[in-house]
Amino acid sequence: MDPMAAIRETFFQECEEQLAELEAGLILMESGAAEAETVNAVFRAVHSIKGGAGIFALDALVRFAHVFETALDQVRSGTLATGPGVMNLLLRAADVLADLVRAARDNGAVDETRTAALVVEFTQISNLGHEPPPPPKSQPAAAAPVPAWQISFTPTPPLYAKANETALLLRELRRLGPIEVTVDTTNLPELSEMDPEGAYLTWNITLEADCAEQAIRNVFEFVEDDCHLEITAATPAEPSLKPGDVITGDNGFSFEFFPPPVFDEEEPLAPPEPEHHEPPPAPVAKQSPVEVMAAKAESAAAVSATIRVDLDRVDRMIDLVGELVINEAMLSQRVLEAGIARASGVAMALEELEHLTREIQDSVMAIRAQPVRSVFQRMPRLVREVAAQTGKQARLVTEGEGTEVDKTVIERIADPLTHMIRNAIDHGLESPEKRLAAGKPAEGLVRLTALHRSGRIVLEVSDDGAGINRARVKEKAIENGLISPDAALTDDEIDNLIFLPGFSTASTVSDISGRGVGMDVVRQSVAALGGRISISSRPGHGSTFTLSLPLTLAVLDGMVISARGHTLIIPLGAIVETLKPKAADVFPLDGEINVIRLRGGYVPMVDVAASLGYSDEFVEPDQSVALLVEGEGGVRAVLLADAIHGQRQVVIKSLEANYRAVPGIAAATVMGDGRVALILDVDAVVKTTRSELSRPEPSVLEAH
Amino acid sequence: MEHIHPGADTLALPPILDLTAAAALLENLLTLRGRPLSLNAGDVQRLGAQCLQVLLAARAAWAADEQDLSLADCSEDFLTTLNLFGVAPKTLTYCKELP
Repeated sequence: MDPMAAIRETFFQECEEQLAELEAGLILMESGAAEAETVNAVFRAVHSIKGGAGIFALDALVRFAHVFETALDQVRSGTLATGPGVMNLLLRAADVLADLVRAARDNGAVDETRTAALVVEFTQISNLGHEPPPPPKSQPAAAAPVPAWQISFTPTPPLYAKANETALLLRELRRLGPIEVTVDTTNLPELSEMDPEGAYLTWNITLEADCAEQAIRNVFEFVEDDCHLEITAATPAEPSLKPGDVITGDNGFSFEFFPPPVFDEEEPLAPPEPEHHEPPPAPVAKQSPVEVMAAKAESAAAVSATIRVDLDRVDRMIDLVGELVINEAMLSQRVLEAGIARASGVAMALEELEHLTREIQDSVMAIRAQPVRSVFQRMPRLVREVAAQTGKQARLVTEGEGTEVDKTVIERIADPLTHMIRNAIDHGLESPEKRLAAGKPAEGLVRLTALHRSGRIVLEVSDDGAGINRARVKEKAIENGLISPDAALTDDEIDNLIFLPGFSTASTVSDISGRGVGMDVVRQSVAALGGRISISSRPGHGSTFTLSLPLTLAVLDGMVISARGHTLIIPLGAIVETLKPKAADVFPLDGEINVIRLRGGYVPMVDVAASLGYSDEFVEPDQSVALLVEGEGGVRAVLLADAIHGQRQVVIKSLEANYRAVPGIAAATVMGDGRVALILDVDAVVKTTRSELSRPEPSVLEAH
Repeated sequence: MEHIHPGADTLALPPILDLTAAAALLENLLTLRGRPLSLNAGDVQRLGAQCLQVLLAARAAWAADEQDLSLADCSEDFLTTLNLFGVAPKTLTYCKELP
């Protein structure tokens, strides 16, 4: 790849990280949990994006980042209070900044009116956060005295040893405003005595810029331990000309405010004029982006010991480890077949190999495991946008962002979560007036939680809204002919009706979530991931959607069973217990279905082989083994099989991708002996036990 | 090579004068000391502070030795960076006779 393109790519990757940091910091600030360091981190994120964007001459991005940064600087210096209005503006600015970054990356377009509107809003809040502006402020182009900073900068040898460079710092400083530099050579030793890698010079810099001291300190952020730095305000007589008037100037004279990029395009080779009272044109900075990026990379490397790895490589490794697991299983099988004693050296070594393989597999999976943070971070924006569209007030609280789950799962939970959160705001939360009338705060709360529970990841979306209006849901279900009018349903059953296809309780179909393809789509996509979704609701107190998903879609712990000579895998997560049925406990019900008495209750039985069409004859219960499984929504059934062969971790191979979807079968795997075994879709098989329409099991309707 | 003629030696400065170049530059200058020298900065693309130190020290050394030190053919980058460092090109040169 062309090195510039590679650097550009790195820049955009870093931008994504900075944007995430920005969002996280702003959320903290909004919740009032922010410390001074949070504000600094937020500022740095925007500053870094601006700096990088400058190198690549992404002018629109630089301009907006600059306005944003200036406002953040005011927040940092305390001249701008972070009330709800300001926080809202900052959050929206973060969204726009993200859009600008993405537009720059993909050469796409952005909604410029939105950007411009935000710039105007920034201008307004900065005025509010200020003393009444003195008249000259509205005329920044007039020769108003520009405050100046006196900076004395003396690098020490470690500064250079760490590959930092004074020239870059000076250039960075020049972005803030025109600089006048003099070099002090008093400490320069005699040529023959000097250390070429020593540091003997002191620079005295006069910076004419209307910025906060911290903005200057930021330039020296990475080197502050390796230099002597003194910053003094040269014109302290003008306290009212603190940060903010740059923006004010922008208000009336936006063109004056950002002329350099325009000049830059027109006469790219023009050298900066010393008396030019604007930031110098970019070409100088463009000279050595490699240098800048290298220096940045260096400092970044010092902070975190992580590496970026191409996803393809990790995926390839996963595949190979999958093959290794299969091979190892085949080897075990061969050893077993050869009749080698369990205590023999070969068998022992093999056992060790098995442990190692398992460990390698776990480690490789851990590489791909990612915190759900990346998905969670997209949600605050969604909440803001949906709340704005629906005229509701909503706050998102997230918990357990650090919960890790395999990348394959992460990629696919974003859509269901998005839908669920939209739904929670659009249908769950009431309008501010109704909330106040109900004695709740006007602002609704949407809580997004992730946690690990028994080898699965559980995601919960809850709101503190009105809860499900059961009377209406039932009415609607009857209206649509989904249930019979006299059906007696439990509250839970009514709640779960909303997962039926085409079900929407919103009286008017909005363009947010009520598209008529509501929760049933969510349920289907979750089921496709091997997950389950359920809802619990308390009238007046809100609803909670619980989503339970496997941690990975690449391997599965399963029970190996055989049914009429076919080997099948039942996902271990679905199995509650195994038992040996007695003929006396089995009762026929309704001709086709048998139920088994189990600890005082009755559970329907399914003959696995018969349900998959391997055989027309039903196996005699006392000739078989039974597995009590629990499907989606806690529906239980007993599966009958010929024998259980043991527990094993299997590598999932998609049947759909390699063959086609088969009802009752979730996926396939390759066994130790090289044969393909099918992984049973427990939910689908359990469904076959529920064939009465009066039972409000959503699954029943879907089976048609 | 011995120069009986008052014509100066010429040292062509390398394109990249960063911190890794400082030691070599110093060494080169030390071997050329005591005679008039012309520095050719036509190829310079990058100038770091440490090479700048060496050049400033060299100017002081040549002045102390009362030998001419001149700059020839300065590249645009060289001049821009000098300007950034707050160093005028003439402060890097020395001429025995007053100009």
